[in-house]
Amino acid sequence: MLSASNLGKRFGRRWLFRGLEFELERRDRLAVIGRNGAGKSTLLKVLAGLIPPSEGKIRNTGDDPRRSIGYAALDMALYPALTVGEHLELTAELRECESRTEELLEEVGLLYAIRQPTSELSTGMRARLKLAIAVQSLPTVLLLDEPGAGLDEAGRQVVERLIEQQSMRGAVVIATNDPLERRFATHEMEILG
Amino acid sequence: MTNRSTSTILKAAFALAVGVVTIWSFEVPDAEGFQFPALARIFFWHFPCPMIATTLLFLGAWFSYRYIKTGDLKADVRAIASMELGYLFCILTMLTGIVFSQAQWGSWWQNDPRQTSFLMVLLIYAAYFALRTALADEHRRAANSAIYALSALLPVLFLIFVFPRLPQVQSFHPNTSIMGGQIKGPYAYVVTAVLALVTVLTVWLYRLRVKVGLLELLVEDKNDGLETAGGHTPAAPVVRPVRVSRDR
Amino acid sequence: MNRRIRAIFLKEVRSEMRTKSGLTTTVLFSLFTVVTISLATFDLQISPQLGAGLLCVALLFAAIVALPRTLIIEEEQGTGDLLRLVAKSEDVFWGKVLYNLVLMLITGLVLSLLFLGFTHIGVAHLWLYLVCLFGSCCSFSGAVTLCGALVAQASNRSALVGVLSVPLLLPLTFLAVSGLRVAFDTKFGFNQMNGFIAGGGLVCYGIASLAGGQYLFAAVWKR
Repeated sequence: MLSASNLGKRFGRRWLFRGLEFELERRDRLAVIGRNGAGKSTLLKVLAGLIPPSEGKIRNTGDDPRRSIGYAALDMALYPALTVGEHLELTAELRECESRTEELLEEVGLLYAIRQPTSELSTGMRARLKLAIAVQSLPTVLLLDEPGAGLDEAGRQVVERLIEQQSMRGAVVIATNDPLERRFATHEMEILG
Repeated sequence: MTNRSTSTILKAAFALAVGVVTIWSFEVPDAEGFQFPALARIFFWHFPCPMIATTLLFLGAWFSYRYIKTGDLKADVRAIASMELGYLFCILTMLTGIVFSQAQWGSWWQNDPRQTSFLMVLLIYAAYFALRTALADEHRRAANSAIYALSALLPVLFLIFVFPRLPQVQSFHPNTSIMGGQIKGPYAYVVTAVLALVTVLTVWLYRLRVKVGLLELLVEDKNDGLETAGGHTPAAPVVRPVRVSRDR
Repeated sequence: MNRRIRAIFLKEVRSEMRTKSGLTTTVLFSLFTVVTISLATFDLQISPQLGAGLLCVALLFAAIVALPRTLIIEEEQGTGDLLRLVAKSEDVFWGKVLYNLVLMLITGLVLSLLFLGFTHIGVAHLWLYLVCLFGSCCSFSGAVTLCGALVAQASNRSALVGVLSVPLLLPLTFLAVSGLRVAFDTKFGFNQMNGFIAGGGLVCYGIASLAGGQYLFAAVWKR
């Protein structure tokens, strides 16, 4: 579903990671661990195609990265003036997929806030909306950067449920240091950069 | 004969040629129609500058296009070498033009459309360097400045080739000094000789600048290797994925 | 217009309608510019040449104030990543350009009406005047949107966008001045053909900058 060969990323003269090789199949859940600043989030951004690798290649078997890759991260912002529902309508139009607005918001427990602008949401509510956007197109690869950060117990259960569902259709990569989230992993990879 | 001695001989021959042509430029009879014929000899050095500047700026745009196509930083090195030299020749064009303007029309700055349009070209490329300094990541810097160089092509073509020839633009600056036969005889020979010398000098400088740029890239790569070997960063700062088996 | 471009365009319109910061700033800027020109020339009869130059410079700076914002704000508020994940670069470009074009047309219309009202310049050739205004707005929106993308991730983007845009837009401003001075001419008898050539050149320049801009934008946006 997703493979990396000889993947490396550097900023200036500092390599965050180098020579990274892996191949993920359906039901694989890879936990990327490492201390703060090691490059976990950068690796996920590289895998999502948001920043280019300095060397190596990524292969994604999905048809179009807009639909085949789902990505949710703490530092990804939402449009403050748009409502929760408008976000899902917008991303569905741009990805050319079904919007499933109500179904997804029900799933992440945010249906009650469908008409609320995101500037009025709490950190946890934003994290739930980002999760909904990430899984909207039923991606083959789901990339989650610290998915439990800012979430309450119910929110963590949502994450767990989404990861279980994703495993049925594809692979999951989670960047985390949280022992609870590491529990979900079938593989682990530590970045020492 | 070794490469080193061949190179020394070539450099000596080039220096000799520059000396001969410089003396020759003072020896030819004054051209007709100049207010201050002695000062007007700056024309010999003014004439090649915009031609070489324009060629280098287009070469820079070509290598910018190559970078966009390939993502190879070597193309960016060639683009920046062309742009830097092109910019240098733009400045020389302006400076020699200002001296020539004083010699011919009695004013350092005429507000002539041709002078102003070339100053605008100079500013467009100054913005190119301003953009480069504002971007930290080397690939982003290379890509964004390449796109700017390509998008500047249309205005630069307009400013250099279209604007001075528009019917409503009245310029003091002649468009066809050589081709129109206004410069002829020994004067034209000196102009041609200086153009040839400056072209050779440009090629030499360009090759040196590219060599420096490529060496910088190489040193950066070697430094990475040294740092890695020195133990600051582990050779492969990542642990291969391992299967975690748990009783679940 | 395809659904994806329309989605980006509507997102911009919705955000603008709710915050109103972009349009307010631009219209206020236009008003200040025209009042300043009026103040500086209160005892002068403005000639068509000077009037055309002043209007073009005012349009140029209004474009630089208004247009790069749509892309710079994506990086400032951190939403660029979301857009990169779900949208094709050509849809982003055309959606943003379309929004910028509408914004620029409103600005151009407001600015020119204020300008004509305050300076008492008459329009002799309305069609030429409208062609020049439309051509300038198309070219400004194409070129400044691209410049916005170039500086969006730079350290001093707000200052840099002006540095990059002004030289790129000056040849265009020359064409606009050439066209507008004929459009304003009621007594000098400038060659009308020159005016229409300039107006046509402006529209062609606009089309070229929009067509080329799409490909150049793609190389910056996803990298």
